[in-house]
Amino acid sequence: MNVHVSTLDEKTRSSLAIESHSETEEYFINMGPQHPSTHGVLRLILKLDGETVREVIPVLGYIHRSIEKISEYSTYRQIVHLTDRMDYLSAIMNNWAVARTVEKAAEIETNERIESIRTIVSELERIHSHQLGWGVLGMDMGAFTPFLYGFRDREMITDILEETIGARLTMNYIQPGGVMFDIHPDFVRKVKEYLAYFKPKLDEYEDLLSGNPILQQRLRNVGIMDAETALSMGATGPVLRASRVPYDLRKIEPYGMYGEVEFRVAIGTAGDCWDRYYVRIEEMRQSMRIIEQLIDNIPEGKFLLKKPAAKLTIPEGRHYSQIETARGVLGFYIVSEGKETPYRAYFRTPNFHNLWSLTAMAPGGRVGDLVAIISSLDLVIPDIDR
Amino acid sequence: MGLITEKLPKMMAGMPGSDIIFTRMDAVINWARANSLWPLTFGTSCCAIEMMMAPGASRHDLARFGAEVARPSPRQADMLILAGTIVKRMAPRLRTLYEQMPEPRYVIATGACTISGGPFIYHSYSTVRGADTIIPVDVYVPGCPPRPEGLLYGLLTLQKMIRSGETVREPGIRHKPVTSETPEGITIEDIKSEMLALLEKDAVVDVRKAAEQMERPTGI
Amino acid sequence: MESEELFQYIASLEAAARPSEKPSDLPTIEVPPEHFLSLMQQLREDPRLYFNMLQVHTAVDWVKKGIFELLYQLYSTKDRQSLRVLVELPRENPVIASVCSIWRIAEWQEREVYDFFGVLYEGHPDLRRLFLEDDWKGFPMRKDYEDDFMLEPGQ
Ligand code: SF4
Repeated sequence: MNVHVSTLDEKTRSSLAIESHSETEEYFINMGPQHPSTHGVLRLILKLDGETVREVIPVLGYIHRSIEKISEYSTYRQIVHLTDRMDYLSAIMNNWAVARTVEKAAEIETNERIESIRTIVSELERIHSHQLGWGVLGMDMGAFTPFLYGFRDREMITDILEETIGARLTMNYIQPGGVMFDIHPDFVRKVKEYLAYFKPKLDEYEDLLSGNPILQQRLRNVGIMDAETALSMGATGPVLRASRVPYDLRKIEPYGMYGEVEFRVAIGTAGDCWDRYYVRIEEMRQSMRIIEQLIDNIPEGKFLLKKPAAKLTIPEGRHYSQIETARGVLGFYIVSEGKETPYRAYFRTPNFHNLWSLTAMAPGGRVGDLVAIISSLDLVIPDIDR
Repeated sequence: MGLITEKLPKMMAGMPGSDIIFTRMDAVINWARANSLWPLTFGTSCCAIEMMMAPGASRHDLARFGAEVARPSPRQADMLILAGTIVKRMAPRLRTLYEQMPEPRYVIATGACTISGGPFIYHSYSTVRGADTIIPVDVYVPGCPPRPEGLLYGLLTLQKMIRSGETVREPGIRHKPVTSETPEGITIEDIKSEMLALLEKDAVVDVRKAAEQMERPTGI
Repeated sequence: MESEELFQYIASLEAAARPSEKPSDLPTIEVPPEHFLSLMQQLREDPRLYFNMLQVHTAVDWVKKGIFELLYQLYSTKDRQSLRVLVELPRENPVIASVCSIWRIAEWQEREVYDFFGVLYEGHPDLRRLFLEDDWKGFPMRKDYEDDFMLEPGQ
């Protein structure tokens, strides 16, 4: 059998050679890896016909740090800290994915206090991640104010988390068998204050940006993806939900305290950029609702049931579990040989799968639309490259 | 700038008293340079968020130090803030970006990754171990990620360096004051005792014990 | 569906597919590479199964046994059912049929596996490296990969 392996050069050349019916000449333009609106080091090669995008060829690997290879040499506790650096805006949730897989595989118990704390800090982090996404989307669409607003409010959450966790970004908080530190005595009060502060602010966000006709023009009916394509493209998270698929792991296979709280899964109708934008706004509301239900009755108990110094092994076999981060499903797959380090560790990351749907959405639109689509996907590049 | 920094010195070199003029001019030019550093937005990963925090967020207003005009194009930037891991595939691009920046150009490396490879130093087949293997770095800001305040301190250090450093007659050549070596006459012991005194002054924990433990890390 | 029922139903579709005995936390079947593509097609299209998401595709290098174990994890939004499909390939000349035409995300996942392990996919429209440069030597996630660049602690 003979399988041909091509190169980027070949790909672009053959792509140009395809017969097209346009009367103008098609050409390539390179976007990235150093480009302000690709949110990092994403590189896209665009095949354009005038201003219409014909094809998008994403080129990855500009921040490929070989996390999976390093994981093979690391103990499970060390892997937790590597996950912080993948999707750094959902660092706590990434930690949780590892903790959940390890707990399920090694049958480590947790208690209600741990689960409550985990849920609350995760939802706080989901809010701040969406705030940043909202601000950056505003900036990409030509409005600078949302960026300032989003960062201002995000900074306050960072402060609350810092008091408890001691870090601002790379948290390394949720561990197999508990959380690293107990919550700060002021934590409950401050979270409540913050919720009271942020609720009217979220309405203000909407006044500021959602009702803006320019934004609506740029987002509505741009980058439409139907449910069937989204599923086949492997999209998850707000991107999939905007296409009318109510797939949210917090509801489908509840973990943490999600089974016990009330919240709705926000879904869109058309699957365009606007829906993806609005699903995130609605998710912030629901996250606040979840926190409100939990914050007043965090049960008493220990916060760490397994000593960090204790040896941690996983029985032989294949283990997988997944959680819902701010951007979609993060799965962690371990093949264990019963040692302290995994034989193989694989991360199924949300952004990797979400980015691929760009190649289905962008063709046919304008270059300006492409920027809107990238923004609405809310990408974190190191999560793609790992 | 080229007129003042290159042509003029040559023309005036033989004139009596030119040295004095130049010394004064140096001061003015360096002062101007130090206070209008335009950074190039170069964020590859986690550190980039904290870097965005510094000029972007209202709390850590980078504009106070004249460095808030982030430029997406290297041709308009004076300063490259490296935020995030550099991997092998990115290295040639980083080099190109650096070369495209006009002189005088400065580089601040923030975060463990750009200093040494950080958490990805071992067993990684793609992470570059330190940005200074690719381009010269002026100031290192440690942390993973460094707080915005750390970045601000790095910027102030750079400004201090520019103000005291470059001369008009040698564009592009500059001191490299910030190295990992300790300056002459200062030993690690001095730093330790200074830290200890500092800690004792405003901490409630048992510092002596903590310092002892620091010397012999227990293998948790 | 319970896993027993699921296995029986799948066996009625494709006789070569059998439940796996390897330790695993999800319903797992194994299939020889020859029957792989037709099985996957049926898993997607069969109205009772309808696995419309390819959630995970990756590989494991069992260097001592001389095989690559490919893993496909499917999910059906209709029944909320997960299924894991394992395929074993020899380490020399690992070639398998591509499932790009069934799930579009496979195009990237397969390129990633090619990039890391050197597994070749027949019928892939655009098989090339994903993360590494086109001229990279070797496949880094293989267990016997060697690189002067990699550093051991204490080195
Ligand atoms: S130093 Fe830490 S925070 Fe900064 S890029 Fe490296 S891993 Fe990320």
